[in-house]
Amino acid sequence: MKQYFPAIVAVAGCLMTAGALAEEAAAPVNAQEIVNTVCAMCHGEDGNKMLTPETPKIGGQKGDYLAKSLHDYKSGDRKNPIMAAVAAPLSDEAIEALAEYFAAQKSELYTLK
Amino acid sequence: MLVLLLAAAGSVSAQGDAAAGKSKNAMCQGCHGIDGFRMAYPTVYSVPMLGGQSAAYIAAALKAYRSGDRINETMHAIAAGLTDQDIDDLAAYYSGDAK
Repeated sequence: MKQYFPAIVAVAGCLMTAGALAEEAAAPVNAQEIVNTVCAMCHGEDGNKMLTPETPKIGGQKGDYLAKSLHDYKSGDRKNPIMAAVAAPLSDEAIEALAEYFAAQKSELYTLK
Repeated sequence: MLVLLLAAAGSVSAQGDAAAGKSKNAMCQGCHGIDGFRMAYPTVYSVPMLGGQSAAYIAAALKAYRSGDRINETMHAIAAGLTDQDIDDLAAYYSGDAK
């Protein structure tokens, strides 16, 4: 259990940052800034890092799937306390920008036939 | 929050048999085995690429579909027929984990 302590600290940081970004909702979407300050702590800047074994790789994943996932976390259709808090302040425009950003990263994912 | 995170982090599946998983993936291939496949119901969006994905994540996703915590009728119907061992085997196969 001890080995997950850094993850908990990082996630707490994610949540505080997500809250801070929510106050800037009127500003234009800067996907890179959101990535650097929120997403990267768990998923890595390119979406290929896994902070915990259950953290999915998202680098190069299908963009419309990523967008749907963020919408579902925001609505509560998909349940994960960390992602719910992260997605809550995201506008539709921010979700689209983030989905496009991660879909465009190099991918370790592939279609297994 | 912390309790939930620790519970999630602790439920790592390491018992999957990738070879067994390959023999159980017939139901997966119709969508996840086709590059660029998009599901049409309830909304149109691409199914995710699963090859190379984290085994623990895939196992957690299948269990959430099975329980209904994650909402998708197609995946719920498919996951409903999977045992924990089936899920661990499929997770090992899709992650590329050859252990």
